[in-house]
Amino acid sequence: MADHPETELVPYVRGELAPAERERVTRHLDECPDCRQDAEGLRELLMKLSRSVPVEPRVNWGSYRAELRDKLAARRARRRAWWSQPLPVALAASFAGVLLVFGVWGGWRSPGGVEPVTTEEATIGRRLGLLQEYSVVERLDLLEEFDVIRNLDQVAETQEG
Amino acid sequence: MEPTDEVLCQRVAARDEAAFDLLVGRYQERAYRLAWSILRNAEDARDLSQEAFIRLYQSAGSFGGRAKFSTWFYRILVNVCLDDRRKSRGWRLWVRDEPDPDTGESLLDRQPAPAADPVDALGRERTVSKLWAAVDRLTPQQRAAVILQVQEELPTAEIAAVLKCSEATVRVHLHRALQTLRKTMETS
Repeated sequence: MADHPETELVPYVRGELAPAERERVTRHLDECPDCRQDAEGLRELLMKLSRSVPVEPRVNWGSYRAELRDKLAARRARRRAWWSQPLPVALAASFAGVLLVFGVWGGWRSPGGVEPVTTEEATIGRRLGLLQEYSVVERLDLLEEFDVIRNLDQVAETQEG
Repeated sequence: MEPTDEVLCQRVAARDEAAFDLLVGRYQERAYRLAWSILRNAEDARDLSQEAFIRLYQSAGSFGGRAKFSTWFYRILVNVCLDDRRKSRGWRLWVRDEPDPDTGESLLDRQPAPAADPVDALGRERTVSKLWAAVDRLTPQQRAAVILQVQEELPTAEIAAVLKCSEATVRVHLHRALQTLRKTMETS
């Protein structure tokens, strides 16, 4: 006799098996009284459970909904407060500083034959690349960047000249 | 024509508060009932079903629409409940005869109406009480599988999607759970 289809018995009594699988289990049950008894026992137990599901305690749905609204509002307020904390702003400023350092370092390594530029011009010029990184820029909150942005046209002329 | 749950979920992702209210209204009773069935504590069921709605709100954008909304939401809810039980390690509960806060009715009083013969009825009530006490002693995964099948009447495939496991695993959970329950009823 084939292996006993123990784990198929519950889907079998619930009518969930695919036709081929159902036929295989039916054939087995025809030949195996133990499995037949098992299947019958499971059927009765499932019916007993379905008919006796305990009823949950009642709820005042008005106060449930009000509580839910309050909890959701509090959760949203906590998430907004997190972003305005000093730490994320400090992290963004540090990241911008690191980019700046690499930008200046890259400026010192420019190839020969190019007119030397002042340190300040190199610094400002390199910051132009930074402005292309909008996702970084929108998070910057450094006042000195405004000077650069305000004088962008002058910086551009200097570089062309 | 009323919008489907899936459409409402997409609107919740776009922060449509009215859509969220509608979804809560549709699912609040089912969510609370399922949470209580797993947890057997009214206060926890209230808190955790509300937590599931908050997570629905926060992650509505990740509902891809591949599964039914109910399956996706039940998965959130069951995970919230099972995680809570794992943390508290209090899933091995005897069924608590928790009185209804409004009427003071006990768990036994809230069972379906007994048959005419009072002796038979008392015997049946005791059997039912023992049966559900045994359900409460199942492992969290087995208990969730049994409740989703007999209370929510979900097919095995959907239970697998809610529990995020294979259908074969659900069949094993159910087989072991029901064998345990049968042995309990036979020995008592």
